[in-house]
Amino acid sequence: MSNGTFLAIDVSNTQTVLGVYAGTTLQHHWRLQTDIERTADEYGVLVRSLLASVGQPRIRGIAVSSSVPPMTHVIDELCRTYVGVTPLFVGPGVRTGMPILYDKPQEVSADRIVNAIAAYDRTHSATIVVDFSTATIFDYVSERGEYVGGVIAPGLGIASDALFDRAAKLYRVELVKPKHVIGRNTVHAIQSGLIYGYVSLVDGLVTRIQKENKVKARVIATGGFAPLLAPESETIDEVDEFLTLDGLRLIYERNSDE
Amino acid sequence: MMLAIDVGNTHTVFGLYDGATLRHHWRLKTTRGRTADEYGVLLNDLLSGVGRPPIRGIAVSSVVPPLTQVVDALCRTYLGHAPLLVGPGVRTGMPILYDNPQQVGSDRIVNAVAAYERTHAATIVVDFGTATKLEYVTEKGEYIGGVIAPGMGIAGDALFERAAKLYRVDLVKPKQVVGRNTVHAIQSGLIYGYVALVDGLVRRMQKETHAPARVLATGGFAPLLAPESETIEETDEFLTLDGLRLIYERNSH
Repeated sequence: MSNGTFLAIDVSNTQTVLGVYAGTTLQHHWRLQTDIERTADEYGVLVRSLLASVGQPRIRGIAVSSSVPPMTHVIDELCRTYVGVTPLFVGPGVRTGMPILYDKPQEVSADRIVNAIAAYDRTHSATIVVDFSTATIFDYVSERGEYVGGVIAPGLGIASDALFDRAAKLYRVELVKPKHVIGRNTVHAIQSGLIYGYVSLVDGLVTRIQKENKVKARVIATGGFAPLLAPESETIDEVDEFLTLDGLRLIYERNSDE
Repeated sequence: MMLAIDVGNTHTVFGLYDGATLRHHWRLKTTRGRTADEYGVLLNDLLSGVGRPPIRGIAVSSVVPPLTQVVDALCRTYLGHAPLLVGPGVRTGMPILYDNPQQVGSDRIVNAVAAYERTHAATIVVDFGTATKLEYVTEKGEYIGGVIAPGMGIAGDALFERAAKLYRVDLVKPKQVVGRNTVHAIQSGLIYGYVALVDGLVRRMQKETHAPARVLATGGFAPLLAPESETIEETDEFLTLDGLRLIYERNSH
């Protein structure tokens, strides 16, 4: 299978990310808006033209993680019609190589399992994954590689939108780190609350998870806001923008050999 | 009796003071578009319920500009007094070291005044309202500035509106930080997440100012979150009303 090209598709609430792998190497990646009203034909034209732009690699397999149920069927049709491949959807019944200790394993969304697998594959030790996307999601994997569970908090983007929509006198600010924690004007006060506030939320939750499990777990971050927030964090060890794509590749491999 | 009115983005709180003692308090929803007459009927009825005490003065803090006029009209028409609106020109007894003092929301100054009155030391006030706001007052009683983060309520609402597979949960503390189902995972993220946000910001503020400031909390979510916090020393649900009372006194002698 290493001689084929593989496509990973990660559908999340805000964006859909596509990654083309040759073996274990991510060669190309694209980011599209997730729009549940867009059709398989619209996405098909986009994907076909993106693939054509990199020399039309022959796609041997596709794995998909979708946390947006209405998109699942659109992606399935897109893969069959425009790429000619039946995709593997991560979900109940798919072999992941990771025991799921959640109360109801089918309730954990696919992206969380995929992240956990990619992270544990790197650390082979107790690990916390922090995914900064629409929600800020924490997943805890035990030292033995079991998916234990996690934490779901509002994401930085949606929480700041809510602040500007709901608080009459506040307005949208640029997401940059202010010079001081204590803001002496409203722009700096909000920037501090968003950036240092979210970093504190993450560091505090990571610390509580480590304490609860009595282990100094490794911490790997991914997701759109990771490059902005991780440098300020005292607990994040590593950032990988493409962790989810990599997990999809691993799961695909685990389901296609033999 | 003195009436304190705190118009927030979500709720408007009324407090009736006899000297320094809060005798009665009421909470109404803040509705943009509601008229002075509608608020007047509500307030009249609430005041009648406690024997219609004579009101000799009113102080108001409003962070909702369209309602400031409505509350002003309400006070004049239904209570017979022009209220003291906390804002530029009102004597607070606290130097404001903000870049542009007119820009600070009146609720922030009012909280800072009430908190410093209790501590007479470097103090951080945490207000868990629509926004989560932290204010810093120096040892000498100067208002320096603060931090504004999204509140737990609006951030939680956003999570349920914007993430396809998530749903509204009861706001109670889960047994463990690591949730083994989605309800517990969200409860943990909101409650432990927001406590961590506040504790982390407080520590960063203390570090930046090299002062072990006292930490007081107020606002609707304070009773839920403060007990889990490692930095909050004291919670007072009525801190803003108390600050309005103090500012009223400082302007009436």
